[in-house]
Amino acid sequence: MAHIDVAVTGVGYSKHVSKRRDVNIAELVWEAVSNCYEDAGLKPKDIDAVVTGNMPAFEGVNMPELWGAGHWGAYHKPLIRITTGGTTGGSVAHAAYYAVASGLYDTVLAIAFEKQSDGNSTMGLNTVALADAAAQFQQGVDPGFLASFGGGAVGIAVYQAASYMKRSGCTTHHLDKVSALCRNNAALNPWSHLKQPGLTPEDVAKTVLMQYPIRFGHVCPATDGACAMILTTHEKALKLQNKPAYILSCASCSDEAALMGISGSGTTNMDPCAQEHCKLAAKWAYELAGIKDPRREIDVAEPYAPFAHQMLMFYERLLLCEEGEAPAILDSGSMNLDGELPVCPSGGVISTNAIGASAMERITEVALQIMGKAGERQVKKEVHKGVAHGWGGAVNLNVVAVLSDTPRRS
Amino acid sequence: MRREVAIISYAQTPYEADANASREMQVLKVAREALQAAGLKQEDRYTVVTANNDYLDGRTISNMRLVEPAGAWMKNESKAEMDGAYAALYGLWRILSGDHDVALIIGESQASVYARWLPGIMMFDPTFDRQRWLLNEASAAALQARAYMNAFGISGEQVAGVAAKNLDNASLNPLAHNKLAGADAAKVLGSRMLYDPLTEMMMAPYCDGACAMVIAAGELAEKAERPVWIRGVGFAHDSYLTERTLKEMNSLRLAAEKAYAMAGISDPSSQVDLAEVHENFAHEELMAYEALGFCGKGEGGAFFDSGVTRRDGKLPVNVSGGATGANVVCATGLARIIEAAMQIRGDAEGRQVAGVKTAVATGQTGPCAQESVVFVLGGE
Amino acid sequence: MGPGIEVGQVPRAALPINPAFQWSVGNWMDHFYDGLKEGKLLASKCPGCARVYLPPRMICERCFTKCEEWVELPETGTVESYTVAHVKVGANGEFEELPQPEVIALVKQDGADTCVAARLQGGSASVGMKVKVVIDPEAESFVNMLAGYRPAE
Repeated sequence: MAHIDVAVTGVGYSKHVSKRRDVNIAELVWEAVSNCYEDAGLKPKDIDAVVTGNMPAFEGVNMPELWGAGHWGAYHKPLIRITTGGTTGGSVAHAAYYAVASGLYDTVLAIAFEKQSDGNSTMGLNTVALADAAAQFQQGVDPGFLASFGGGAVGIAVYQAASYMKRSGCTTHHLDKVSALCRNNAALNPWSHLKQPGLTPEDVAKTVLMQYPIRFGHVCPATDGACAMILTTHEKALKLQNKPAYILSCASCSDEAALMGISGSGTTNMDPCAQEHCKLAAKWAYELAGIKDPRREIDVAEPYAPFAHQMLMFYERLLLCEEGEAPAILDSGSMNLDGELPVCPSGGVISTNAIGASAMERITEVALQIMGKAGERQVKKEVHKGVAHGWGGAVNLNVVAVLSDTPRRS
Repeated sequence: MRREVAIISYAQTPYEADANASREMQVLKVAREALQAAGLKQEDRYTVVTANNDYLDGRTISNMRLVEPAGAWMKNESKAEMDGAYAALYGLWRILSGDHDVALIIGESQASVYARWLPGIMMFDPTFDRQRWLLNEASAAALQARAYMNAFGISGEQVAGVAAKNLDNASLNPLAHNKLAGADAAKVLGSRMLYDPLTEMMMAPYCDGACAMVIAAGELAEKAERPVWIRGVGFAHDSYLTERTLKEMNSLRLAAEKAYAMAGISDPSSQVDLAEVHENFAHEELMAYEALGFCGKGEGGAFFDSGVTRRDGKLPVNVSGGATGANVVCATGLARIIEAAMQIRGDAEGRQVAGVKTAVATGQTGPCAQESVVFVLGGE
Repeated sequence: MGPGIEVGQVPRAALPINPAFQWSVGNWMDHFYDGLKEGKLLASKCPGCARVYLPPRMICERCFTKCEEWVELPETGTVESYTVAHVKVGANGEFEELPQPEVIALVKQDGADTCVAARLQGGSASVGMKVKVVIDPEAESFVNMLAGYRPAE
């Protein structure tokens, strides 16, 4: 059966800052959607279906599109809500890809967002841990003790970081370098949140130690922001764009839920940095995309890294090098904007994290790199193919998309 | 559709007010049964789409805890945070894309665990209605019921009659939890008044449960015994509660138009043999008759009175008891698809209707069916 | 359950989650509440299709246009629908019997195209009934400054 090629034909962002008190959730999202329509040269009447998602516990609104979608051009349109935690933006984009690839809808608007200032995200994330507590309560573990692990995502990340460092030889200096690289890239990105031009690894090393090995400078900010993209068929895209970016393939893979290395069922010890499922998702996505040697064929990577070590860890898990090689590749300068395989040219999640939107922003950023529309953050090398990633859940969900300047045609 | 996609197996838990099982146990049971019935093993290649809701499950990222019981370990998995019929829709897209051939669809929630009416209140505009605490799913439904009844002269007896029919139908469904053989309109009207004109027995009470379904294309579908083919789908979103007309179910009408066009149905009242409708409140079924084109606008009451939608009628609706019989948020619409498929396959035992070839199933999300999805199913 | 799976009484743990939310209402709703403080009903109007939104919306859902016009609406409106509430939802999510039934109405303000859900005073109601808005600038919470409606006669 012939594959229906799916092209990105428009991308839009809202402003991304800590607190948007001047707009409500629906209005914030409108900014991204409106910019997206403008970028695509389309109007709501051209849209056949809408896919949306965010992490509802963060804003305290159950299915916010029910009152907000009127602001997004979704009036009387088919609309579906997809949410999967940190991977939400990626899952939304994947659903939009499948909607077009199904042949049922030609042009699909994908919307992902988070307005963290409306709620309490650390509390939201703690319920991830508390869910573990509930499961382990059944195993006889005192829920009060489990709840004390808290600390939101940072509590989870330190275990993973320490484990990754032990396995790879990554040092705290590498973590400092990752932060410096990303925040300098973010300074070139007009919509990014934390812009720190000229930030050095030494500056990062001076920030407060939160919990070894993670310093304040290694952690993403909490962001209010939204992202939208329009996907359409190859044929329609060519009428709208000189050079559309194609989503060649999407894959997700889910492992057992495991926070502090203990699975939700309380029966398994897992290394939170192993991320075998990320490797599997990457393998499936590359296979569908016809990519045999990702190390040679991928020109740019946007791994989902809210914590510094994750940029290196996921570079490895996305099969872009052997395990343990990423720190040396970082040292070589290959990951820089002018490097051989630039990583997080957008500044990455460590610079901007409107949680529900972040995984979609990885995809839109790779698309912009392929279209040559990334402005000052455009990488020096020519970009033909890129990989966009999302991570979340209890360390157990990964989504991977492969993008290209040429369609799959198979 | 570019591929023929069939429902090849399904499973449901009994629906109960307070199940003596964790949600993981319930999901494990239906996922395992549906996979086994489809001849699939955990190591086979399939994709999983679940439907659940963070507020109902009381945890952020509700799907991540369901990875193991849902058979989604090391699988390509995703979640629709809506009614389960949307998960089925997303699974269908995945198969139609050609990237996948088999999808396991699961819907679940446990009303005994969440604070029953609060997640519904959290759906309303947080800058106004939500904080005023007047609108909830039941009061909104009552506003819709009155608007509809007043516009078209629908009587309380007709609305109550729908609830009585579904309660009586549910008595033949061993999985249903809310049932009453021989229920009549007077009994329904005489039950506790909550939001006038809606009484307690006109509401589909939230309960615990899970259901699962396997859909497939290609070899697995062709080899399947008695496959039920998905002939058409449609879905639509309507405006916020206070910004739309409540007299009609626009989302369902728009969804049905798409699904019928795809399935080649031009005269639903003669071409559809049976319907399973997701009605959270009894009047919604009358409105659904109209939106689904079974009768004209405003004729839902008379259409019901004619007896056509009774289980011995020409176009039986909710022979399973519908949502009135069992309402598991995030599973109810998926259960409608499963019940419709069971009728086509001849699996419906004591409630089997003879000669069902084409059936319609609907799902809804949001207050007063703000969002609807329609499936048209057919046998060989 | 399936073979080999025996389930006893499932233990339940109540988990202490009390997150605080502080929703931004946005500039449009802010303007609406400022109007109520002065006893005025301010609605936003779509410059494209002239649809009038009360409560105001920033974007017209039909035109995708910014509703940058404002109109002050009269105090009168019409009941589009109503329900007599015998219960309310309590903090635990269950219905609680109200001491006295109350009417919740959907009112279309004269000149508006959308409805407001609010309490209707006076104990009785009918669809099509004319009503007047009751504004309470001193309301304890600003969301309740639009306190409700009363019969016009």
